[in-house]
Amino acid sequence: MEYLTSFGEVLFFIITVLIGVLFIEIYLYLHFKLYDKKFYFFIPLISIFIFYLILKSINLYSTKTMFFITLGEILFSYLCVYRIKGKNYLPYMLVIPSFIGLALLLVYPFVFEVYLSFHDLKLTTILPWKETGKIPFVGLKQYINVFVLPPLSETTFWQLLGRTFLWTFSNVFFHVLGGFILALILSEIKMFKGIYRTLLVIPWAMPQVVAVLSLRGEFHSQYGFVNIVIKKLISTFPFLEKVGVAPVNWLSDHPLLTCTLINIWLGIPFMMVVILGGLESISKSYYDAASIDGATYLQKLKYITLPLIKPVLLPAVTLGTIWTFNNINVIYLVTGQAGGTEKADILVSALYKAAFVYNRYSYSAAFAMVIFLILTIITFLYSKIIKVENT
Amino acid sequence: MKKSKIKSIMLHLLLIIAVVITTYPLIRIFSVSIRPGDRIISTDLSIIPKGATFISYIKLFKETYFIKWIFNSLIITLSTSLIGVILASSAAYSFSRYKFFGKKIGLYILLFTQMVPAGMLILPLYLMIMKLNLINTYLGMIIAYSVSSLPFSIWILKGYYDTIPRSLEEAAMVDGANEIYAFYKIILPLSTPALSIAFLFNFTMAWNEYLVARVILYNPKSYTWTLGLFELQGQFITQWGMFAAGSIIITIPVLLIFLYSSKWLVSGLTLGSVKG
Repeated sequence: MEYLTSFGEVLFFIITVLIGVLFIEIYLYLHFKLYDKKFYFFIPLISIFIFYLILKSINLYSTKTMFFITLGEILFSYLCVYRIKGKNYLPYMLVIPSFIGLALLLVYPFVFEVYLSFHDLKLTTILPWKETGKIPFVGLKQYINVFVLPPLSETTFWQLLGRTFLWTFSNVFFHVLGGFILALILSEIKMFKGIYRTLLVIPWAMPQVVAVLSLRGEFHSQYGFVNIVIKKLISTFPFLEKVGVAPVNWLSDHPLLTCTLINIWLGIPFMMVVILGGLESISKSYYDAASIDGATYLQKLKYITLPLIKPVLLPAVTLGTIWTFNNINVIYLVTGQAGGTEKADILVSALYKAAFVYNRYSYSAAFAMVIFLILTIITFLYSKIIKVENT
Repeated sequence: MKKSKIKSIMLHLLLIIAVVITTYPLIRIFSVSIRPGDRIISTDLSIIPKGATFISYIKLFKETYFIKWIFNSLIITLSTSLIGVILASSAAYSFSRYKFFGKKIGLYILLFTQMVPAGMLILPLYLMIMKLNLINTYLGMIIAYSVSSLPFSIWILKGYYDTIPRSLEEAAMVDGANEIYAFYKIILPLSTPALSIAFLFNFTMAWNEYLVARVILYNPKSYTWTLGLFELQGQFITQWGMFAAGSIIITIPVLLIFLYSSKWLVSGLTLGSVKG
């Protein structure tokens, strides 16, 4: 019964969305089609009235929103009558529902985040905000706070920044290195290639939450597989202990290393598949020609393989860098439990914790804008470097 | 001749080591899930433990809301993917076939949305959903998810539509069909592969999502499976067996679907990116 009601609830919602889309389409159609009729005058009026009714019914009505809607309606009618004139309206009808969705759920939240970052929304001001929609304006204070106050309970912004670069660099480096080596081996092999490939992509195919959580268990100091293997190795080869090999408290002493190891395990298959695709598209004749000229394996690698897979590798590395930089999942899943450590947090995971563990909403909005700026600068510099290298 | 044989054996050996590293965690989770109740926590490394049982699976279904979690995940995921694909398929058609004022800006907006880190938008989305009183509901989750993979879907579908020759619709229009009819009766059926890729992409995105769900859902009964497993894993000592059983139940179908569709997935990604 419980299942049925929730199913009905969702079905109802989907139907509402579809009816909403239908309304948008009818609205657009009337405007585009009837722009030259004498009674067109009524259509914007009726539309404004319907908007008013909708706003009233979902409790979002305010004179300000109504003013903007009226303004938009007038502008739109003007466009219909004097600019579009019933020509070529079909593409708009197809695109507009998607863009309304994007505007409401991606662009508006972004703008709202900018708004938040100049105000002061925290646990004490959230209830008044919920009722009246007003928050005190504080200007640039939150942005200064990002650099002055630590985002988490002790870790400062600069520590997080350094850790983020370390994390991003080491992960991407080992992803590419591991992926490259595996792809090279796979491209040399003829037997069982398909089977190896399938088994090697398992970390990528597994749901990330399952993979990270189960690996987190494997790093448990006592019952985790990693330490059990270390102990077994020591008991069979006693000299290892003298070299300094010993079981490690992975999760409490080296959380960042643990997260990095887990993420390397997760990320290699993607790089491997991408690089393998690149390797397979290189014509064998290059290598044959090089062999005749007496090139060694390393020379072939340097002068044939690397330049030819560059067009595949560069976008993959760019994407990989952005993904790793933005990776909250691995770090939060490993350290996010109550009482979890802060020693592994990078910028984005600290952002998540600042917002939802410490409930500093405006602060984390400003923090988010700073991170966004850093990411934009990195991407910009990166694209410049690539351009310079290509010319 | 002999040298190449040694080399090939070495390469196979390396690959086998790599395969062991990639598959071992999964195998171990399986072996934990079938351990008997009194030995779930142990330093045992054997794959099939002594006295293997399915007790953890039974306990998982009896003592937790596991079925409900799967149901919640399914219902949220299916509705978001449905909404996403319906919206994307028509928008992509417009971008692929027509020239119109604002097309370039529209495509740039799509790219821009990909630039914004997903983690950044969780906070404003959470506050919006809170203000709409949709915390702890399916609707809140569906609203938060529904457009997150829309830009990517539009991009993939646009790339695919671009490969379908325009003459197909022109022929239909000569026969008297209008543009909408031609789209629904000719283009959509032809793009089933791309539509399924987009659907699958939306589906995996929402199915594996954790961070948004963490802040919107807080009642154990309305958890998605990701939240449920996180809770089980949190209490490491007591519920490790149930966590393992749940992981296996989730992972096996996902792995099968992924391996079955991976060929399409890779080709679909290139389809979308080659045609910029």
